[in-house]
Amino acid sequence: MNKRVAVIGGGPSGLECAATLRKMGISVILFDREAETGGHLKQWHKLFPDRRSSTEVLHLLRDNHQPDGIEIYSNTLVERIEETGNNFTIYAQENASYMADAVVLATGFDLFNVTRKEEYGYGIYENVITSADLELMFSSPGKLVTHQGVVPRRVGFVHCVGSRDEKAGNLYCSRVCCITAVKQAIEIRQLLPQTQATCFYMDLRMYGRHFEELYNEAQEKWNVSFIRGRLSEAAENQDGSIIVKVEDTLTGRPLKMNVDLLVLMAGMEPSAFTPKIITNQATAYGEDGFMLPPDPLIGSNRSGTAGLFLAGTCTGPKSITETLADARSAALEAADFLKEILR
Amino acid sequence: MNIEGKRLLWQDYQKVIADDNYYYARSCIRQNFFPGSEKTFLRILRDELGKDILDDAAHTSCTGIGYHTDIVPFETTMTVVARQFSLMTEAGYRNFVPSCITSFGLYTEILETWHNFPEVEEKVRQYLRQATGREFEKPFNLVHASDIIYKFRDEIAAKAKYKLVNKLTGEPLKVVEHIGCHYSKMFPHKGIGGAEYPYVLTGMIEAWGGEVIDYPERRHCCGFGFRQYVVQANRGYSLSCSRKKFESMEAYDPDMIITNCPGCPMFLDRWQYALSEMEGKTYGKDGNGIPVFTYEEVAGLVLGYNPWDLGLQVHQVPAELLLDRMGIDYDRSAKFKGLNGKDLGRPKSPSFLKFYKDE
Amino acid sequence: MALLYDRIAQDVRFVEGLKACLNCGTCTAICPAAEFYNYDPRIIADTVQSKDDNLIEALLRSETIWYCGECMSCKTRCPRGNTPGLIIIALRSLSQDLGMFTDSEKGRQQLAIKRTIGETILRYGYCVHPEILDTDMHPEQGPIWDWEKKNIVEVMKRLGANYKGDGPGILRSIPQEALDELRRIFDVTGGTERYERIEEFSKLKAEEMGLECGQGIDSEYFRYVYKTNNDKHSKE
Repeated sequence: MNKRVAVIGGGPSGLECAATLRKMGISVILFDREAETGGHLKQWHKLFPDRRSSTEVLHLLRDNHQPDGIEIYSNTLVERIEETGNNFTIYAQENASYMADAVVLATGFDLFNVTRKEEYGYGIYENVITSADLELMFSSPGKLVTHQGVVPRRVGFVHCVGSRDEKAGNLYCSRVCCITAVKQAIEIRQLLPQTQATCFYMDLRMYGRHFEELYNEAQEKWNVSFIRGRLSEAAENQDGSIIVKVEDTLTGRPLKMNVDLLVLMAGMEPSAFTPKIITNQATAYGEDGFMLPPDPLIGSNRSGTAGLFLAGTCTGPKSITETLADARSAALEAADFLKEILR
Repeated sequence: MNIEGKRLLWQDYQKVIADDNYYYARSCIRQNFFPGSEKTFLRILRDELGKDILDDAAHTSCTGIGYHTDIVPFETTMTVVARQFSLMTEAGYRNFVPSCITSFGLYTEILETWHNFPEVEEKVRQYLRQATGREFEKPFNLVHASDIIYKFRDEIAAKAKYKLVNKLTGEPLKVVEHIGCHYSKMFPHKGIGGAEYPYVLTGMIEAWGGEVIDYPERRHCCGFGFRQYVVQANRGYSLSCSRKKFESMEAYDPDMIITNCPGCPMFLDRWQYALSEMEGKTYGKDGNGIPVFTYEEVAGLVLGYNPWDLGLQVHQVPAELLLDRMGIDYDRSAKFKGLNGKDLGRPKSPSFLKFYKDE
Repeated sequence: MALLYDRIAQDVRFVEGLKACLNCGTCTAICPAAEFYNYDPRIIADTVQSKDDNLIEALLRSETIWYCGECMSCKTRCPRGNTPGLIIIALRSLSQDLGMFTDSEKGRQQLAIKRTIGETILRYGYCVHPEILDTDMHPEQGPIWDWEKKNIVEVMKRLGANYKGDGPGILRSIPQEALDELRRIFDVTGGTERYERIEEFSKLKAEEMGLECGQGIDSEYFRYVYKTNNDKHSKE
């Protein structure tokens, strides 16, 4: 009797969870709403802290770590999951349905829609871009120019866009944006040695291994400058460059600065799809909108529903390393659950 | 700049504006410095749009300036505001329309405070009863006078005799729109278009043929600063704020400035005069200042009203060259006359701003 | 014993204005007063939230709290939902109640405001009125205002006002009944008391400084507080 687990989402957490289950001899069906698996990783260029190629990581997750035996349904939007007796029915578009004995939600995150941070002018002032936009520019050499087509002389990075912000509707910290900003600032300095890079931050959350060292490297080796102040507004000069207002809180002086490109470090929000899929009351969401395990401290992969497990950023912002570890842990929980029901 | 980005945001900040039956609360500053504007507001509402708007003799200042200069305690101001609401209730109205932006901000704040702290509302009711025997109901709809002109901007455009267009070249006039801080900075959802890209004046300008300029200091306060203006020793603050805006907008070559607050047009107008006297510098296309208008003055011009009915003669920065550019037909020589052409003499000329082109 | 902090904490404006500040500086970045004066709204919030009465008393006696222009640009941006402008209103209120405002040059100006705006409100029912406004005190109103004032009745007629008239209209004479109600409101809500305190404390200060306090705008102390600026309020 071969038990089967459905993994909802084909990003890093879904791929790693599926691979881990498969290694344990458990059948997996994986659903992904896009044409290709990989989630946001597909749009990223290099990963912190050591600037590992995300394409390389993606291939590892897809190819090397994926022995045969995983059924992958791409371009498939899961609409609903229902408990039907001892197992689960997964409903996708066009009335397709699938059965599974356990489900792992790996639905991931959405990037904060930075147009909601109106005072920064994204979508209005063309030289205001997001961290995600910048990664795409890194992937295409020659694209690292302003809207006017010239090499920027100064690039500003705005931390905490859509995070730690009552006005944006998200009180939490998105964890990985600080280190991403430091990484991207270094990449700018590497690619455009004549260009200045300035990070506008409230705190520098260098929580992970080698993060603090990267910050050190950014200052010492690459001359990235750091100003401790949350950006208040961005406006456009006549030449299309951006003028920003910030307080340098360490010296206690307000200042205005011109930058040619302003990069908004967009935070992570819970994926808008998750609540549409799970409609039973036992599965809880935190006030921050991410899924909330009943015991988040020691049971971080368990939802309120037996047989339904949580992996990756659907329970909160994480780095790739944390996501993969969490995904393997979810696989273990699912396997354990299946053993129980086999008894 | 991509204006479509702004249009998307404007959708998020719409508000309900009552259709008719308004209780009008006049503005201290506008009655003193822009009487023509309040006159024009009532004229447009009654004569052009056929609306019912009550001009009640019994209402007083809301004490907003006193409150924001910190000489009037919040309890006092709240109770005066409660009295205004009581007058509205007594007269059988539910839609309250202040002429002043500070008032609008204040009324909005007070309603919000009462909502969050019902015990404060109860205390104010007691105070009002004790002092005057009055009771009141809160307004059903509270909007600023500029919201109403915004609401009927297309009706005004349909009756327009002139447009915000350079008659000679056919090009839209370049317009700086300045929103009073207390309109939407405190409660973005109570302002049309929100706080960052307000639409209340932009909507009017677009409807009447003009083009809005965005410039870096667009959102900067004009510098009223209440006590920073009232006390002579502090006026540098006020002047500096306006100057910062002028220096920032200069490069964009504006034809005119329109504002929706009582204080803002006064400061943006007077400080241009003061700067010209102090530094010899003038702004604007003709080097004769950038004329500053209230939205009623612009609505009146567009409708073909006599500029001297609108009160343009009491601006420090003269408007004639702009009126000429718009192709408006008016009697230049009647500028400083009283009723029935009565001769009232002329003001002394300032050093740099020319009051009349042919002197 | 945080007596001063406790008093401020009772002011509803303060309760609305300060939850907790994380010192991000967004308010200072956008504040017009921070551009012009030695002023930093972030530090105001941070200082008050320390609940340190010594620091709070120093604020109440300082120039600092009088620099804010109450434009509320800070309210739009603060990620924690604070409003330094409202904290300032609460501080200014307490400073006047306790008489500490006369310690600072800017604070002393409250008398000037009370005797102009404040008395105009009760006398006319408006915050400002042509009868008390002239280019001596307001030169920026310029030659146009001089001309207007000289011909006030005619100009007001021309512009459709009901200047000092009965019934509704621009700059009408506000009915005595309304002015009486206004005054009673001031009496009952502490407005009159505030005015009196401003006068009392200012009188003490004037005596200390050897200046005649008198009444109205024609007094030594009034002219002194109205015009004096020690030029130490701005950054270089």
